[in-house]
Amino acid sequence: MNTKLIRTPIAYGPEGQPTGAGAEHSRSVAPTVGDSARAGLGPIKISAKNIKVFYGEKQALHGVSLDIPDKAVTALIGPSGCGKSTFLRTLNRMNDTVPGARVEGRIEMDGEDINDKKVDPVLLRAQVGMVFQKPNPFPKSIFENVAYGPKIHGLASSKSELEDIVQSALKRAGLWDEVADRLHAPGTGLSGGQQQRLVIARAIAVEPEVILMDEPCSALDPIATAKIEELIDELRERYCIVIVTHSMAQAARVSQRTAFFHMGNIVETGDTEDIFTNPRERRTLDYITGRFG
Amino acid sequence: MTDAASKTGAVSARAEKLKARLKGRYAREARFKWFGRGAIAIALAFLAILLTSIVLQGYTAFYTHSLTLPVYMDPARIDQAYPQGTNFEQMVAEQQLVRMGVADDENGSKATAMRNLLSSELKFIAADRIRAQPALIGQTIPLTTPLSDDAEMYLKGKITRETPENLRRVSDQQMQWLDSLKSQGVIRAHFNSALFTKGDSTQPELAGLLGAVIGSALMLTVTALIAIPVGVFAAVWLEEYAPRNRLTAIIEVNINNLAAVPSIVYGLLGVALFINFLHLPRASPLVGGLVLALMALPTIIIATRSSLKAVPPSIRDAALAMGASRTQTVFGHVLPLAMPGVMTGSIISMAHALGETAPLLLIGMISFVPGISAAIDAPGGALPSLIYIWENASERAFHERTAAAILVLLAFMIVMNAAAILLRRRFERRW
Repeated sequence: MNTKLIRTPIAYGPEGQPTGAGAEHSRSVAPTVGDSARAGLGPIKISAKNIKVFYGEKQALHGVSLDIPDKAVTALIGPSGCGKSTFLRTLNRMNDTVPGARVEGRIEMDGEDINDKKVDPVLLRAQVGMVFQKPNPFPKSIFENVAYGPKIHGLASSKSELEDIVQSALKRAGLWDEVADRLHAPGTGLSGGQQQRLVIARAIAVEPEVILMDEPCSALDPIATAKIEELIDELRERYCIVIVTHSMAQAARVSQRTAFFHMGNIVETGDTEDIFTNPRERRTLDYITGRFG
Repeated sequence: MTDAASKTGAVSARAEKLKARLKGRYAREARFKWFGRGAIAIALAFLAILLTSIVLQGYTAFYTHSLTLPVYMDPARIDQAYPQGTNFEQMVAEQQLVRMGVADDENGSKATAMRNLLSSELKFIAADRIRAQPALIGQTIPLTTPLSDDAEMYLKGKITRETPENLRRVSDQQMQWLDSLKSQGVIRAHFNSALFTKGDSTQPELAGLLGAVIGSALMLTVTALIAIPVGVFAAVWLEEYAPRNRLTAIIEVNINNLAAVPSIVYGLLGVALFINFLHLPRASPLVGGLVLALMALPTIIIATRSSLKAVPPSIRDAALAMGASRTQTVFGHVLPLAMPGVMTGSIISMAHALGETAPLLLIGMISFVPGISAAIDAPGGALPSLIYIWENASERAFHERTAAAILVLLAFMIVMNAAAILLRRRFERRW
């Protein structure tokens, strides 16, 4: 039974396309059983094909392909050092900033290659926001933090417009009620969970299309984590979200799609429900049941 | 039962052992604390000794004496058209001898002895008065003049009667005259304003620090204007933009080595480059500032780089992920956060530059520059080279002035450091 399923370690390779007839998309969609249940997810937003990443001599990703749907949360899980964060950072070309890093393969966002010479990484990052593991607000006021993106991208033409943007971003990040009376207090003075929501507000203030989250809750307590997860669930309605997480439970709670990474490869991709209840791969099963990781 | 007993025994033996170890650990901790306190105490003691000796040597330079005498402006000796040609010191000395009822010998040695108690400044004071008011010729007017450095040294107790007469510069007779003048109340002690309002002079009683202070300030301005921006930009480029390759590695090693190059070598470079090749004026604050800027650069670059390195990478990531360009990231986030460190590094290297002497000697700042020059391209003085010049002077009165100059230099540095701390506070408060 297993031998048959091991067939494609990369679930969404281009060769998988013909079998994807069950889904509502024309392009490179879910090939395997169970994916027909994907109703409610948006069309494919990002399509990564055969991504290889090298840090100097060391190869971190060995040809990873993954389709990421819009208006959904895609979780990347896997043991430490499996390449999930590396993959995440290729999606907004943050690896460009790492000396000695090299990315091969094709990543299409809305059909356009983001690694194309014509694509400016600065503009790409305005479309693809990112939230990091450790909350990293700028050592400035709460207002300044959220206003930073709109300011550098020239999204607000007046002061009142900027204030509106900041307010709506903070509201959508569920932080407005807690900070409305101290917008000019330093952002670094907030609690860890509040800082992380501030950082999310900062990211959504520029109206990105995609939000990448690199273990956003690993430094937070359970209550703050619950708040962030709630927020992620709300944001799903508007954005394409990719989240790297160490917590299987979190992946199960917040995501609709899950990709399991291991040693620089994707072992299995599928609807989150399927991955956690009925994994096709032995290694996936071992990982989600805690036998290694 | 026995089992339990042996177990308790074992436990208590273990506890004993732990306790013994613990004692040793606390003892080590206490010892170390005392070593630390001892080191601080030694450092403070040296500082105290240094400061006390300088203050004890130098405080007398901050006051001085002047003498007020009635002077008959003798028409037979003063040429109205050329008053500065008159030997006023001799005239005043002879009149004073007459007033004291002392008869001179045929060599005029008594008049010479009296004249040697007066500063040569007397001539200029008197000539200025005559020039301003020629009608004073033929009248008797009170004239106030500084005393000569030797007379000054006696009044300050630095030359005493214990020294055999042939070994000191003030004779018994001169001492007696000074004592009697003092008892008449015509010698008055007051603040030595010349020290702060005049330039260098060959006469210690007329020598002041102002020329050197202005020279040093001009030089430091040149240094700061060149070294800080160049150093900071070089460091930013190396740290944030430069590719990591062989060339940048070589540059890096060289910068680190330059920081260790003796300052006199920078002086030689300054002579070769700025004076011989670019023909900039010798001994000018411009050249001095350029040489000191070269010297300060490596320190500023190293300090700036290490404070840029200390900025958490998460801030860079945050800005880049928001779509900030690299320049926006560096100048909007990283550099402002590194600013306190950059300022500390810059001010420390400026303070170093302020006290640097060797390169200044090579570019000609050892030369005697009388008066005060505030021009950037004319020969000027500098505090450290003035200290060097004064320390080497033979007149004893220069020695106390050397110590006073050191105190002024220290005050200059304290002001700079205080400014650095204030600036740092301001920059830190913003965050």
